[in-house]
Amino acid sequence: MFEYFKNKLFRRFKNNEANIHELNYLFWECTMRCNLNCLHCGSDCSKNSSSDDMPLEDFLSALDTIEPKSDNFMVVLTGGEPLMRKDIEQCGREIRKHGARWSMVTNGYLYDQEKHNALLNAGMGALTISLDGLEESHNWLRNNKNSFARADNAISLARSSTRLNFDVVTCVNRKNIEELPLIYNYLLSKSVKAWRLFTIIPIGRAANNPELILTDQQFTEMLGFISRTRKLKTIDIKFSCEGYVGKFESKVRDSGFFCRAGINIGSVLIDGSISACPNIDRSFIQGNIYSDNLFEVWNKKFQMFRDRKWTKTGQCAGCKDYTDCQGNGMHLWHGDKENVLVCHNEKISN
Amino acid sequence: MISNWIRNLLRGLSVTSMVFVFQACYGTPQDMKYDMYIEGVVKARATGDPIQGIRVSLTETDQYEFTDDRGVFSFYTDIATSYPILFEDEDGGQNGAFMTRDTVLDPENYTIFFEIALDRE
Repeated sequence: MFEYFKNKLFRRFKNNEANIHELNYLFWECTMRCNLNCLHCGSDCSKNSSSDDMPLEDFLSALDTIEPKSDNFMVVLTGGEPLMRKDIEQCGREIRKHGARWSMVTNGYLYDQEKHNALLNAGMGALTISLDGLEESHNWLRNNKNSFARADNAISLARSSTRLNFDVVTCVNRKNIEELPLIYNYLLSKSVKAWRLFTIIPIGRAANNPELILTDQQFTEMLGFISRTRKLKTIDIKFSCEGYVGKFESKVRDSGFFCRAGINIGSVLIDGSISACPNIDRSFIQGNIYSDNLFEVWNKKFQMFRDRKWTKTGQCAGCKDYTDCQGNGMHLWHGDKENVLVCHNEKISN
Repeated sequence: MISNWIRNLLRGLSVTSMVFVFQACYGTPQDMKYDMYIEGVVKARATGDPIQGIRVSLTETDQYEFTDDRGVFSFYTDIATSYPILFEDEDGGQNGAFMTRDTVLDPENYTIFFEIALDRE
């Protein structure tokens, strides 16, 4: 009975959030350059990306259109690898001067003591570091023999700061699924407090590499691992917001599945395009900062994100969980949008 | 208006309180806003000229910054009850030679601006 009312309340809450659509979280795809060449990269970044970094002033002009900013508004620097930008500290300082807080997602390769100090000085308040396994499996996925050592050092530095709200993310794949208990022990030994697990979806470079995609059984095992580990209360482990996981919903996250793309989350992509999360198909782009006012676009467009009835098609059309799932994550709709790319709930049921 | 009222109502219900602290797919955790901004100018006591290249350290953390050509330094750091700060001339005589000095700042709000003078060696 309690679960019934809780779910009903949560659905109401989600609808209400879509109506209000307060912009809390703005990704800035500040570079497409990357120092690694990961096997699973969804955006096909490279050292020699053909896209130039977006000039800081261009982003700041767009940021200034957001007025008033919500209480917990923040800018999340992403890429590519944000640390490839030489002016990353200046970017952070200017974002603070323009009334926003900021954070960053990094592979940790260039995150040394000096960079750590400079980023803290520039007002960085949160950080996510990717770690995709112990040394062998991390280096395999990241395609670089030194990447684990560098990420390990970055984790130590991040952990040394009491000011940073920091977590580790792991892309779970067939090579590291058996390692999860070992990664857990490693993270505990590093005093890491928060750990988020993802799976890899078959897009970008991962589309043609079956080793990266979990079998349905492995996926269910991963959720079981998260569920069991959460009960230990030794680390804040959770499954990411990538998809609806049915009977595991209350066991693998702090709250139910809610894809906030376009509801609370927006992004400015490398070419100025305005969208929601950067990993969402480019066909969902809503405008461009070089021709549109970012905040006007946020307030007046994004209908496909805020009313997801259109996702009730393909296998979602007759799904009994649709009311709670609402078409899964928006990043799972591509091309003709006739069917969802991955149904996490189906994986559990198989 | 009604939507905001409902939102606040839901905020008060513990069953959904966690949903106000969220992370995007492959985004970061929320910034918990636990910081203070400190900015200052380092000048030569005798002349009042700004000094470039002074290392300014927050001694209770690992954070440091060097003054620029206007003698200015700034950083964000953890909220604390006081801030012991050390000023050291590490570039020898390049911008003049100055004696090390320390001070303790007591914050009154979330931003501190101050000026400090160093003596020549």
